[in-house]
Amino acid sequence: MNQYGYHLTPIGGGDFLLEPMYGLDTSKADELIEGILLRLQASKSVRLYYDLGEITIIDPVYYTWLELLARACCTMNVRMVCIHMQPTAAFALSHFLQGDPAFETALDVDSRNSTVV
Amino acid sequence: MAQKKNTAHHTMIEQLKLQVGNISAAIESQGQTVFGSSNLMSGDEITDFSIEFLELMVVLLDVPNPLDHDQPAFQALQGFFGSMSKQILVRGGKMEDFVRYMQFLQRCFIESLKEDKNVTVEDTRGILLLLSSVFNELTLSVFQAYIEEKEKTIYAQQQELRETSTPITEIWDGVLTLPIIGTLDSSRTMVVMEALLNRIAAERASAVVMDVTGVHSVDSQVSHHMIQMVRAIQLMGATAILTGIRPEIARAMTSLNIDLGNVTTRASLSDGLKEAFKILGIEVSAKA
Repeated sequence: MNQYGYHLTPIGGGDFLLEPMYGLDTSKADELIEGILLRLQASKSVRLYYDLGEITIIDPVYYTWLELLARACCTMNVRMVCIHMQPTAAFALSHFLQGDPAFETALDVDSRNSTVV
Repeated sequence: MAQKKNTAHHTMIEQLKLQVGNISAAIESQGQTVFGSSNLMSGDEITDFSIEFLELMVVLLDVPNPLDHDQPAFQALQGFFGSMSKQILVRGGKMEDFVRYMQFLQRCFIESLKEDKNVTVEDTRGILLLLSSVFNELTLSVFQAYIEEKEKTIYAQQQELRETSTPITEIWDGVLTLPIIGTLDSSRTMVVMEALLNRIAAERASAVVMDVTGVHSVDSQVSHHMIQMVRAIQLMGATAILTGIRPEIARAMTSLNIDLGNVTTRASLSDGLKEAFKILGIEVSAKA
């Protein structure tokens, strides 16, 4: 088990894939973000795909974590794209979302276009 | 009073035992007239129902207080009439015919009293009160069963209508269309959103064209639902294209301060489809 609770994999072309696991502790957001940004910066990454395939519900707490990470990525000129969002998660998120999120969304890595919400 | 009631019950049971042949024949004959002629029940079913009814009635009259609704004998009789009425209704029978049939059953018992000279006036009064109370309760429970059945039918029809009124079609690989007709209320939005988001996930759809040509009016709640639906589609990673917004709806949305700035809109469904194809990098042109 990864000690940070996520897998960060380079997938080519300056893109990285972040796969959160059950051990991801979002209460340690600062620590997690620093670790992720360190690797992205070292690899001169331009885009981070955040895989939400295992996340069935996005509550305000988890959404805050996504926002923090996306904004932090933005400051380093890295676009964060959430992929594989589950219907239940999209449904729940659309209920409490007030403004536009800081991240983009796409069906998957292979999708030609990501959508700016 | 309890003694009087018991006397009435015993007299009634005695009457039934003596007259069971006549009552059974009369019930069967009436059953044939009401249900048999219109093919609502077969002859065997009518016979079985008549026998079961008489048996249940005897059991009910044999208990100390036949009007106690909680006792098994009364509930058995209620259940019998409930299932019989449902069966009749399912086969296309009318409620009023069934209630008339029940009144006839009551009349059969009352008429059977004429045959016995030993039954006193007091006993007769007790029996009449008992019969009217029992049959009134049974009629009420039959009506209740009828209403429940009708409500179930209405609910099922509403569900069916909801599903058929929002047909989600994959018009091209990765392109879904959803024509919305009628009013979008909260419950319908939930149904549509659930179905649509699941289809996006299943078909890996990149574009969803939502056509609202069939929506004639919007209020703030409906607009909110529409924006919510578009947002959920975008969160899934697909592009939502809203088409066919009527001028009066556009005006209403403007006065409601609804911002469609982040939503791709097109005048008609065909324009929406062109936009969807453009997003997918597909070009549709006439054959040279």
